Amino acid sequence: MRNLLLVLGGLAVAVAVVVGLVAVLVMSGGGGEEASQGTPTAQATGTPFAQPTGTPSATAGGELRLLGRDPLTFDPACASDVDSANYIVELFSGLVTIDRDLKIVPDIAESWETSPDGTVYTFHLRRGVLFHKGDRQVIADDVKYSLERALDPDTQSTVAEVYLGDIVGVKEFVAGSADEVTGIEVVDNYTLRITIDAAKPYFLAKLTYPTAFVVDRNQVEGSTCLSDTNWQRHPNATGPFKLKEWDLGQSIVLEPNKSYHLGPPLLGRVEYILGGGSAVTMYENDEIDVTGVGLNDIERVRDPAEPLNKEFQEAPRMDIWYIGFNVNTPPFDDPKVRQAFAHAVDKDKLIEVVLLDAVVEADGILPPGIPGFNENLQGLEFDPELARRLLAESKYGGPEGLPDIETASSGRGASVGPVSEAVLAMWEENLGVKVSVRQTEFATFLRDLRDGKFQMYELGWVADYPDPENFLKVNFYSGSRNNYTGYAGPELDRLLEQADTETDEATRLSLYQQAEQLIVNEALWIPLFHDKFSVLIKPYVKDYTLPPFVIPRLRYVHIEE
Amino acid sequence: MQGILPFVMRRLVWAPFVLLVVSLATFALGRFGPGDPVEILEGQYHNPEVVERIRHERGLDDPFFVQYGRYMWDVLHGDLGTSFTYMGVPVEDIIFDKMWVTIQYNLVALLIIFAIGIPAGIWAALRQGTWQDPLTIGVFLFLTSVPVLVTIPVLQFMFALKLGWLPSSGWVERDILGLKLGILDKRIIMPILALSLPGIAGVARLMRAQTLEVLDEDFVRTARAKGLREVVVISRHVARNALLPMTTIVGFALVGLLGGSLFVETLFGIPGIGQFTWKAVFNSDYDVIMAVTLITATAFIVANLVTDIVYGFIDPRVRLGGGGPRY
Amino acid sequence: MAEARLALEKPMEEGRPPFGATALRRLLRKRLAMVCLVVILVIYLAGILAPLVAPYGYNKQELDNAFAGPSLAHPLGTDRLGRDMLSRVIWASQTTVIISAAAIFTGGLVLGVGLGLLAGYAGGRVDNFIMRVADAFFALPDILLLLLITATVRPRVEALFDKFKSWPVAGGLVEAGAPDYFLVFGALALFGWVGIARLIRSQVLSLRESDYVLAARAMGVSLGRILARHLLPNVSNIIIVSVTFSLGAMAGTEIMLSWLGIGITYPHPSFGAMIAEGSDLSSLRAHPHLLLVPATVVALLLFAFNLLGDALNDVLSPRRR
Repeated sequence: MRNLLLVLGGLAVAVAVVVGLVAVLVMSGGGGEEASQGTPTAQATGTPFAQPTGTPSATAGGELRLLGRDPLTFDPACASDVDSANYIVELFSGLVTIDRDLKIVPDIAESWETSPDGTVYTFHLRRGVLFHKGDRQVIADDVKYSLERALDPDTQSTVAEVYLGDIVGVKEFVAGSADEVTGIEVVDNYTLRITIDAAKPYFLAKLTYPTAFVVDRNQVEGSTCLSDTNWQRHPNATGPFKLKEWDLGQSIVLEPNKSYHLGPPLLGRVEYILGGGSAVTMYENDEIDVTGVGLNDIERVRDPAEPLNKEFQEAPRMDIWYIGFNVNTPPFDDPKVRQAFAHAVDKDKLIEVVLLDAVVEADGILPPGIPGFNENLQGLEFDPELARRLLAESKYGGPEGLPDIETASSGRGASVGPVSEAVLAMWEENLGVKVSVRQTEFATFLRDLRDGKFQMYELGWVADYPDPENFLKVNFYSGSRNNYTGYAGPELDRLLEQADTETDEATRLSLYQQAEQLIVNEALWIPLFHDKFSVLIKPYVKDYTLPPFVIPRLRYVHIEE
Repeated sequence: MQGILPFVMRRLVWAPFVLLVVSLATFALGRFGPGDPVEILEGQYHNPEVVERIRHERGLDDPFFVQYGRYMWDVLHGDLGTSFTYMGVPVEDIIFDKMWVTIQYNLVALLIIFAIGIPAGIWAALRQGTWQDPLTIGVFLFLTSVPVLVTIPVLQFMFALKLGWLPSSGWVERDILGLKLGILDKRIIMPILALSLPGIAGVARLMRAQTLEVLDEDFVRTARAKGLREVVVISRHVARNALLPMTTIVGFALVGLLGGSLFVETLFGIPGIGQFTWKAVFNSDYDVIMAVTLITATAFIVANLVTDIVYGFIDPRVRLGGGGPRY
Repeated sequence: MAEARLALEKPMEEGRPPFGATALRRLLRKRLAMVCLVVILVIYLAGILAPLVAPYGYNKQELDNAFAGPSLAHPLGTDRLGRDMLSRVIWASQTTVIISAAAIFTGGLVLGVGLGLLAGYAGGRVDNFIMRVADAFFALPDILLLLLITATVRPRVEALFDKFKSWPVAGGLVEAGAPDYFLVFGALALFGWVGIARLIRSQVLSLRESDYVLAARAMGVSLGRILARHLLPNVSNIIIVSVTFSLGAMAGTEIMLSWLGIGITYPHPSFGAMIAEGSDLSSLRAHPHLLLVPATVVALLLFAFNLLGDALNDVLSPRRR
């Protein structure tokens, strides 16, 4: 017993010493990055209604610290969400890219010609584009390999066909009846010819999306979107940045690719802190250099008297946040029900009170600023009486006749978010319908969405390129993989197909506007709002672009001492 | 040591049995739970033939026990499956790093709990009868009552927001002798504080109760009557007898700590296993869930076994009798 | 013979810990304990009578009145969606009441007392088995396991309850969130029986050898009678103290589960959800009442349970001073 006591006494002393030591160490050292979004009310990964987090800050050769989220994947062939795409566009590159002025500019391809009928693109590759490892140059074969790998059914990409499906021979390749995509032709080491099935003006823009990015065959051979993903921890790519380190759930560190063919980045290091934490608090503590501003801080930073106001910036985003319906499941198989739900949402109140005007109300699908945006679009206005009437006229006869309804959103934790809660309460009050919520993490959410498991769902769509086709055809065309509504309307399809090949810009846009009005009338989605960038940027961070959609932009950023 | 061997044997026999039951139960929950494992694998390709083919390839149409056996066989060979949250990444690559993070700060908290709780409890016991006694009991009780998920935002508000003394969140690792240690950073002060407060109070209460009981005993009166200095009486006679049952508490204290880890990690942004398990559950990441359950259960059963055996050594009444005092 | 039998069947009185009127009197003298009792009763009553007492529904929002300060209409202000904080607290109390009561009844009383009595009285293998199982449960980290269990079992429970959706009364209950409640209190009961069972068992173990019981057994008194008239009154004190502490612990666990999103989920009321919504640092800075209101109530309730339990312990166990 005596010994026991001695041991314990000693332990206590040891602990005291350790604690003292720690205290000393801690007070002296300790600065450095912080980042963790700890709180459960912060919308979890991928929730559409979350605010964009963080922006990198960097100094010429300097360091930029941002908040970020764990990507779902680093494989360009598999990326379908904004979080992953944000990293991928900095690590990888393709034939063409979009610059800060939102123009399509050469990337790996230094020039190209289009055939007179608009269906054949001949790309001339730059010489000397090196993979990150520096071991070899990119040649046309690599591009063909990357494109075909993305389309290969074995790779199990859910998005490749959406962005590359216009290429001739894709259908056969995907069906397995062809060994290659005949429309992609390697003419010689530095010349690649791509033939598409019709003259589509947006095709080049589609090539700026990750599915067209180049990967290293030696590295990725045999891997798919679901397996053998280890190469993603150290990708051998061609983009402006290299992946220095990915500490799962903790941080992602990028370092510049000094031999990037469009010019080396001005930053020395970019660190994304993934753990989470109170973003604005961290920004104020100088732990990160850029941050998104959430609903709880927005009023404070908008106030001119607040010092942070000088560092506050806003910029429009080309996106749409909405509630989507699965038109193949009851009760949303009846358009009257969908319309009733749409008319029961008081968007004005939602945006003014719940979202504090940090976003822009949406009546239609297309965001302002995109070609084809229709100011005169007739949206489904808030009209509770009309809503109730429509519900009564539907084949379900009213709220009592409806089956159980569940909406799906991504996230976890007790809170489903103020927007969801507000809308659900509106439906209960204005329609007398109680809707329950199913929450899952983003990856599972996407998977279940694709499997058609939800009656309705909350999601957002950010533009890939500034063209209405990206919003309307990709999401509503009956043959599109991305059409989660399941809607197949001949009239809509006709409009979209016509717009595809219409050469007169004005007519084309008018066709898209007609399509949009149809979509709105059918209430396939309830468009809620278009997001805005609301960020705080440290004054020493320069040239930090706030683009309306995902483009590579970190290479322009630099830090001023 | 007459009674030791059968005592140890008895304990040893039950441990693997419990493990078996726990692993079987979790596996069953996983296989019969929501989400067809095949769907996870084949993505959105809805060809029923493909589904069947994959199902057969992966052995998912084998009888339950065959699947279970196969899984356990893999586990014993170090293959814990692959994650869905981090698509395709092997589970062992993910969870051991995170477990190390969680264990680090929990160990520190455990040390603090006993280093402060034990003396505090003794002190409180000696104050019985004075006005300080109910006050301290009250303080202890309060600290054990308030849930961690309430104290953390309050602490963050005070120390990070208002006073600015400590960072509000984060986890920074330093490489010390090849070990990645995150506990040598001031960031860890608040989390450990929040985590240990209820523990300190709990240990103090128990220690106080134990000490009071011992103070009642005859040998204490004897010692005092002999004229020994109070300090000697306390430290040599009282404390060491009161400390005995504390050894059993260590295990439970750790259990309590780990339960609270989930909240600490989420609210402070510490990349530990608690937070990740929560994420995995919401992602239906079965391989991760199974692995974490198995490992945690094993760890605890072993820990309890060791505690019991140690206690059996220390207190002969335990191994000769039926069981020791339990709390 | 008849008189002898009757005399021996009289429940033991000497040397027993205080019971009934004595205990109550001593408890009443402890003012602090009384205050705690009152606090608990107020919260519980508010919860039980929620439909009558709460001015608004849990989710009733008034978007025109968001983040309102305290006023006559909203004594505790409103939250982001204009929901009345006072009403939310009252409805959340109802959830806590239902869950802890149900969990205590099944887990604590039925399972805990039942198994404790059984283990203590039967002894031998039965005792061994039950205690090993108890050890196993006690040894595992409950929150983690609850997380796993509830998340995995939930869809099954929901599917099960769906069958009752169309029934007249049961249907309404299902609407009101019965699956959630069932899941949570089931899970709590699963882990909650261990403590009580252990205590009861050790008490029964010692009582089993007492004179009265031995005599009763010798005379062939039935097991049921022995349990009911001899053992039960003596363990009732333990039960009372244990239940008090357990109620607090179970309320705490429910709050944690709901906070995680695996307990009582949206749209059903819970303190966990309210605390989660108020915990974000930015929210805390801008609108501290979102956290402080539910946090204070929760802290008060749990503290009251613990204080009361401590006081009861003092009153009901003969040895403590």
